[in-house]
Amino acid sequence: MDILAVSDPFIKALIANDFLQRALFTGLLIGFVTPLIGSFVVIKRLSFIADTLSHFSLAGLSIGTYLITVLGFVWIADELYLAMIFSVIGAFIIEILRGYYQNYKEISMPIVMSMGTALSGLFISLSGGISLKLYNYLFGTILTVDDGFVRVITVVTVVVVLLLVIFYKQMVMISFDETYAKLLGIKVRRFQFMSTLILAVVVSISLATVGVLLVSSLMIIPVAGAMKVGKSFKNTVSIAILFSEISVVGGLWLSYELDFPTGATIVLCNVTILLSIGIIKYFINLYRLKSDKMTTT
Amino acid sequence: MRVNVTNLTFGYDYRTVLKDISFSLKSGDFLAIVGNNGSGKSTLIKCMLGINKIPNSKIFLDDIDITNYKNFRNIGYVPQKFDDFNYEFPITVNEILSASRYSKLSEDDVLLILDKIGILELQNENINNLSGGQLQRVFIARALMNKPKLLILDEPTVGVDKENVTAFYKAINELNQEGITVILITHNLREADCHFTHMISLHNGEGVFKEVVREDE
Repeated sequence: MDILAVSDPFIKALIANDFLQRALFTGLLIGFVTPLIGSFVVIKRLSFIADTLSHFSLAGLSIGTYLITVLGFVWIADELYLAMIFSVIGAFIIEILRGYYQNYKEISMPIVMSMGTALSGLFISLSGGISLKLYNYLFGTILTVDDGFVRVITVVTVVVVLLLVIFYKQMVMISFDETYAKLLGIKVRRFQFMSTLILAVVVSISLATVGVLLVSSLMIIPVAGAMKVGKSFKNTVSIAILFSEISVVGGLWLSYELDFPTGATIVLCNVTILLSIGIIKYFINLYRLKSDKMTTT
Repeated sequence: MRVNVTNLTFGYDYRTVLKDISFSLKSGDFLAIVGNNGSGKSTLIKCMLGINKIPNSKIFLDDIDITNYKNFRNIGYVPQKFDDFNYEFPITVNEILSASRYSKLSEDDVLLILDKIGILELQNENINNLSGGQLQRVFIARALMNKPKLLILDEPTVGVDKENVTAFYKAINELNQEGITVILITHNLREADCHFTHMISLHNGEGVFKEVVREDE
């Protein structure tokens, strides 16, 4: 078995190459933290928010590209840091708009998304068209993450997990029943602000794995699958994390073996798991229905 | 909990919903609020829960003006509908109760409450699998997690079958006898087999408060 494992070209390459080890470690961290946050996003029926923030991050990436390549602000080092800042700004704008349109809170999403897309279009054009680096950010660049970025992702993951452990009760209560959370004296606005901020940071760091266009799938698809098989809240979140990690490892392995783009392969692994659950559940229900009919006749 | 409401008038925009409501309850009292749809019953409850913002010196809870009242955990609230609860995501009864618990209630105390409410066997059940009546009792258990001094129930038996309604009111009467002040909104007084001490009949926002004298007393 061990000989088989080491003879696998992916395992061999993983042992030999730092960049693959960094990619796997980054993928595992993001695969852990995204469904964790995604679960709370799904409960609150805010699945669209991750997509909105990733599109607003794209504005940060394009402005970053313009500043670095056209104006020569090389001290910015990486557009991804600007994407992170824009994701946070986007989250704040969403929160302000959600407060402003109390009865039409979902309006905030298309406004922020449009703003992000328009700014991206403008600055991509000012930079002389879409660069290869920016194109890579659209679909993910996990194989090129450097040590600095791995450190950022590690710190973010640790902080997010710590915050969720400390404020677990409050986060669960606010997500499931905001009105009752207020009655319990929980500072709902303060926690919403904190969770939106966490979400913004997680979205922006996830850009490195699957890119702007696919980032929301990392947060939502594993949770969507886990919801169908989970028995409790903690069980569902754990299953979502498991699905996500399987997709990351499976996606990296397949993309290496088949020479597919990594981000897209990870997302397609997630989708395959979701579809498999749907099909298995369908046949289980069919079998149960038949068994019930047999016992009644 | 002592409750004093003095000349409370409240409205939304230009429409007055509650007109000059006054009543007073002492610890262990049981108030029934009756009235047709739109008579102002739920608005009155929202004022008492601090959800509707009202001027000073209108509502006092244990002699503290509600505008300065901080510890709403002393109030257990069971809503009429569960629209505010996102219950399609899997979560067990125990997980809901533990997320709602901020008092020093021991695990044994929680089990006693579940037993009294009749949902002991449901503690590890996913709430998506519960019936309307069972769900209602879960929310009563939730309201009891912080040892409330006042329990407010907003038409809690709507959509609950008759057998469960009887068990439900039995549990409420027992809680009231333990000293918890109870306020129950209902449009079906006959169904509510409770030991009311007071009653308010609301009509177009105007209320008549009276003491209930039981025939067996």
